Amino acid sequence: MKNQSEEKKYMPEISQKEIEELRNSVKATSQKVIAENIERMKKTSKNRPEAMQYFDEIANFFGQREKEIRAAKENGKKVIGYLCLFAPTELILAADAIPVRVNSGWYDTSKLGDRIVPVEVCPVVRSTIGAKMIDLSPYLELSDALISVLTCDGMTKLGEILSDCKPVWSMSLPRVKDSDQSLRFWSEEIKAVKGQIEALTGNKITRKKLKSAIELTQKATKAFRRLQEIRKGSPVIMGRDAMLVNQTYMWDDIERWTEKTEALCDELEKRARQKIWACPPDTPRVMVTGTPMIWPDNWKLPTLIEEATPQGVLIADELCSSERILYDPVGVDEWSMDDMLNAIDERYLMASTCPCFTSEDGNKDRINWLLNKVKEWNIQGVIYYVVRGCMLYAIEYTRIKKVLDRMNVPVYYLDTEYTREDVGQMKTRVEAFLEMLTARIDI
Amino acid sequence: MTMQIVGDILTWIIAVGLILAGILVILIWKKDQTRKISYIRFFVQTASVIAIFLSLDVLAAGPSIVLGVILLATIFFGRFFCGWVCPFGLYMDLVTEIRKVFKKRYLNLSEKTNRYLHKLRYVIVAAILTLPFFLGNPLDPAVWSSFLLFQRPFTPLIIVFLGPLEPLVIPWPGTIGFGGYSGSYPYVRGIVEFFPESLVSISVFAFIALTLASSFIVRRFWCRFCPTAVSIAAVDRFKRSKWAPLLHLYKVEEKCTKCGICKRVCPLQVTEVYEQKGGDVTTSMCMLCLRCVEMCPYEDCLKVKFAGKTVFKSRNWLKPSESD
Repeated sequence: MKNQSEEKKYMPEISQKEIEELRNSVKATSQKVIAENIERMKKTSKNRPEAMQYFDEIANFFGQREKEIRAAKENGKKVIGYLCLFAPTELILAADAIPVRVNSGWYDTSKLGDRIVPVEVCPVVRSTIGAKMIDLSPYLELSDALISVLTCDGMTKLGEILSDCKPVWSMSLPRVKDSDQSLRFWSEEIKAVKGQIEALTGNKITRKKLKSAIELTQKATKAFRRLQEIRKGSPVIMGRDAMLVNQTYMWDDIERWTEKTEALCDELEKRARQKIWACPPDTPRVMVTGTPMIWPDNWKLPTLIEEATPQGVLIADELCSSERILYDPVGVDEWSMDDMLNAIDERYLMASTCPCFTSEDGNKDRINWLLNKVKEWNIQGVIYYVVRGCMLYAIEYTRIKKVLDRMNVPVYYLDTEYTREDVGQMKTRVEAFLEMLTARIDI
Repeated sequence: MTMQIVGDILTWIIAVGLILAGILVILIWKKDQTRKISYIRFFVQTASVIAIFLSLDVLAAGPSIVLGVILLATIFFGRFFCGWVCPFGLYMDLVTEIRKVFKKRYLNLSEKTNRYLHKLRYVIVAAILTLPFFLGNPLDPAVWSSFLLFQRPFTPLIIVFLGPLEPLVIPWPGTIGFGGYSGSYPYVRGIVEFFPESLVSISVFAFIALTLASSFIVRRFWCRFCPTAVSIAAVDRFKRSKWAPLLHLYKVEEKCTKCGICKRVCPLQVTEVYEQKGGDVTTSMCMLCLRCVEMCPYEDCLKVKFAGKTVFKSRNWLKPSESD
């Protein structure tokens, strides 16, 4: 806002009229895509849980939740957007602000982003820039400030580009995650961002407030992990539905989200007892890992997997847009301010399996996560999903393939773009993989 | 006579208190998942302090027997004794609880200092072991025969190995009688015996103040170089043999995301549980308080194994319990 009068570093000057035109057209497409995606999810899942209805509504970017946040803002609440999962949501909550994740999954806006950055750049970044150019994303527009964590190269510069339009707080992330000096550095970053949050909102983060914020997210984690736990058994919920539930956490009201997710889990457990499956229990159990898949447009791969013939079902994933959001709880030893802050530091830095890290044994944690998922969730095949320009995930593929090969779990490397054009081609590839999995199961 | 009555009343209060504490522990057990073991441990510690208190006369009669029992138990349980039985440990844990009330944070020693202190305990023991031979004539067979009976000049051995067992906090030199029972603060008896009379009061006071204050700042400060644990640490050298000690901490590598919780909650700042890849992660520094197992949020990641069988394991403490 205050930067708007200044000269812009990256953002081009587009006339208000053009912005509006573009926004209206993209918004119309997006609304159609959201409705269509939900419709298709309903169609695929034979016994779709009734509790999913709530998440369908929340999934609408231009609906109920936008109005709620707008109303809260008018009442003086601040909204703080974040670009990576490393942003400490507990601190935002403790300062009575609303955390929203603002990465974008719109295919159309990634083309707009091409005007600023080259096409080689990761489409998640391009799409977010594009969304900002035409003021599309309601959550990005409503945010008073953005927390940008310098994880991969794209994200690092994304924060810089967006600082043309919003105040951006950059948090520098150490790349070695298990050393003492990294942790010390990161806890300084967390402290700095805490100060910034306090300054923006005008609310001091007190011990009591932080404690209740941590307890709130712990409850959410509890519901979240319960949902993933349920997915261990025969499929009672389609993977896309679960993924949507996981993802709505990033912009929903956390307390309500927890409540609704617990309700969903209750329903699912009941179904599991009655043996009502969402799809035949012998459907190949697939896991995806790699670049985040963000609602609404980038729902391509999960849709393809679950609508393919032969059908597959997504059982687990290792995506920072889904299962990694809340898998790790903030574990507090003593409820003193310092210890709570340290617990937050460690939860965000050390528990993460983001490929932007390396450590003494390489990013072994990620491999451990995958192995654990494969074993405990009975995964029969892994799809390694990478969008063009996502270097870090692409690089780690070879190592992960080696490990999974040793375990005799098929891995399939699927690279794509933020585009609808390659759906046909991808369908052939996914179906071939699923066919192979089905054949393996039959043997 | 009055002391006798006081002692009887005390016994009853303790008995009733223990029962109430037991009920409380069961209630908390059901409620708070992350404190289950901590409360149980408190209960066991209190019970053992009282047991030691009541059998103090027996203790005084046969220190070599008690020492033998501890050493023998150590072979099987490792430093379990330090975490679950030792009265001095309980006092330090109580000080920690008081600190928690003030919402003040503990101080972490640097890893280097911690390791240095851990090695220091061997030096302390070596010094005390050689002390009797300076006090008496090392060639005299009487000196050697007194070794087994722990008589002078070998009494320092008792103090070193049984010092922390002195029950009941009484900030007063020497022992205090309570209706037939006597109590003292850890190591105070030793100070009384070996310090020049003019210095006894001040050194006893200084010792008590120092130990309490240090454990207020650093969790379980004394345990980091306590010479009693040497026997236990020495036994740990046989870790490679499967059965000694029987009690192990076991880590499953694949379930660990290295979130660092185990490292932060450890009262002795043991880092191996976090650092080592998997398998047996028990070290001589670990006192098996099981706080890490209790706080680990990943199901089955950390396990406590007794003779190869899992007796307790980490669980997703966010999981709704059955009573929910």
